[in-house]
Amino acid sequence: MLKSLRRFFGEKASGQVARQRMQVVLMHDRLDLTPDILEALKNDILAVLSRYMEIDQRTIRVDLEQGKEYTALVSNVHIKRVYRRGDAN
Amino acid sequence: MAGKTLVVTSGKGGVGKTTTVANIGTVLAKRKKSVVMIDADIGLRNLDVVMGLENRIVYNLVDIVEGKCRKEQAMIRDRKLNNLYIIPSAQTRDKDSVQPEQMKDLCCELAEEFDYVIIDCPAGIEQGFRNAVAGAEVAIVITTPEVSAIRDADRVIGLLEAGLLRDIHLIVNRLNHRMVKKGDMMSTTDIVSLLAVPLLGVVPESEDVVVSTNRGIPLVHDKGSRAGLAFRNIGGRLCGESIPLEEDAGEKFLDRMKRLIWS
Repeated sequence: MLKSLRRFFGEKASGQVARQRMQVVLMHDRLDLTPDILEALKNDILAVLSRYMEIDQRTIRVDLEQGKEYTALVSNVHIKRVYRRGDAN
Repeated sequence: MAGKTLVVTSGKGGVGKTTTVANIGTVLAKRKKSVVMIDADIGLRNLDVVMGLENRIVYNLVDIVEGKCRKEQAMIRDRKLNNLYIIPSAQTRDKDSVQPEQMKDLCCELAEEFDYVIIDCPAGIEQGFRNAVAGAEVAIVITTPEVSAIRDADRVIGLLEAGLLRDIHLIVNRLNHRMVKKGDMMSTTDIVSLLAVPLLGVVPESEDVVVSTNRGIPLVHDKGSRAGLAFRNIGGRLCGESIPLEEDAGEKFLDRMKRLIWS
């Protein structure tokens, strides 16, 4: 009775909660992002971006962000200067 | 022609590997296939009690591997089916007594003589797991609709794929249709979409399983059992028959009536 009342007031069924939790957990398990892999990823992103713009290398951050229904890879980079076409390489 | 080698595995313990091995083996034997089941859980042997053959053990898996007996001497024939055998595991040895290469050789030899070689894998992902998986060409991963079992199953699937065992099938065990209907249990659809492995069958939660292991008679002999029916269907699918998968909604009325008459 109490349970169906709670359900009525918007509490999610536990099966659905389990499914959403597992989506997140399995993604983390499969990704297996150890700190050194994350560091390598950061350097790779840095290298690619540097081909197009001058960036502040110290400010780059790469994080996994946990949304309600998704996991996102979020990277914040400060741009110092964008190259003109024909500039640099 | 060489037979098929299957390994039944799960990562997590207590989800029903041994029960599944016993029932799949029995159902395939009932379908006139020659079957040998290997208990690869060294130190924690159980397949023999589940099959009701615990009094007949003389030699075991480690004895074969160490050359103390011929493999025929360690094979125990089932009480009812004369084309069904088990090779019991050693109770007082540890997992390092067998090497993956030795398991591989044994499975190859057995597959020459039998239609099916079914390996009961120990829980965990260490040496015992590697041994059990070494000789297999098909993996059946068992999970229950619980978060811990699903997570472990996902890990095992990852390890199997990394070891180049790509023919992987999923069995969802102990599904409680009533709880799924109420929304308090993940459905088969949820689990399959999480694990992304083809589904071989769904076994409903049932007290019959305890009763059958108490007696040492596999469930598939019991025509009135719903879980037994699920295992019979799994056996049929393994033989290549296209039997529709059990729905999350549960049993159809007519099937239920049929089953009630048998029970």
